[in-house]
Amino acid sequence: MRTRTPRRKPNPLHRAGVTRVDWKDVALLRTFLSDRGKIRSRRVTGLTPQQQRAVATAIRNAREMALLPYPTPARR
Amino acid sequence: MRHYEVMVILDPSLDERTVAPSLDTFLNVIRESGGNVEKVDVWGRRRLSYEIAKRGEGIYAVIDVNCEPAAVKELDRQLGLQETVLRTKVLRREDTRAKA
Repeated sequence: MRTRTPRRKPNPLHRAGVTRVDWKDVALLRTFLSDRGKIRSRRVTGLTPQQQRAVATAIRNAREMALLPYPTPARR
Repeated sequence: MRHYEVMVILDPSLDERTVAPSLDTFLNVIRESGGNVEKVDVWGRRRLSYEIAKRGEGIYAVIDVNCEPAAVKELDRQLGLQETVLRTKVLRREDTRAKA
């Protein structure tokens, strides 16, 4: 029997100073995108639902202004 | 009166130095309607994540404005008519400012 270590919550790295997500902060938002340009899930980012939503809308806004890429299909 | 931020992507073939003055003429719409322009921030040339109107890059500018809804709407309309304007986006910004 192997005991399952209680999953460590990956700390919302977000609390690294950011209280409001700015859609113009491309460098920050990039960290929430996969290399294909998809938005990373909450499971991965470890954000709260509110933060995740804020990040997601920020990314969508940034995409509209060509600051961030739209997801690109699998193979290149 | 509301806070708005207007982002504009301009044609990269323009001279960056002429951008601020030419944007300023558009901002008269805001001033005449009793609003005020807080900041015009020209980011300069930037690579676009995808092509817009066959352009691979664009000149970005962000305008912070405090005015009536009708005034930004008019500003957005006039900018959109301009051929050198690739894209615009108007957002409310209740952030940062609200507390400060």
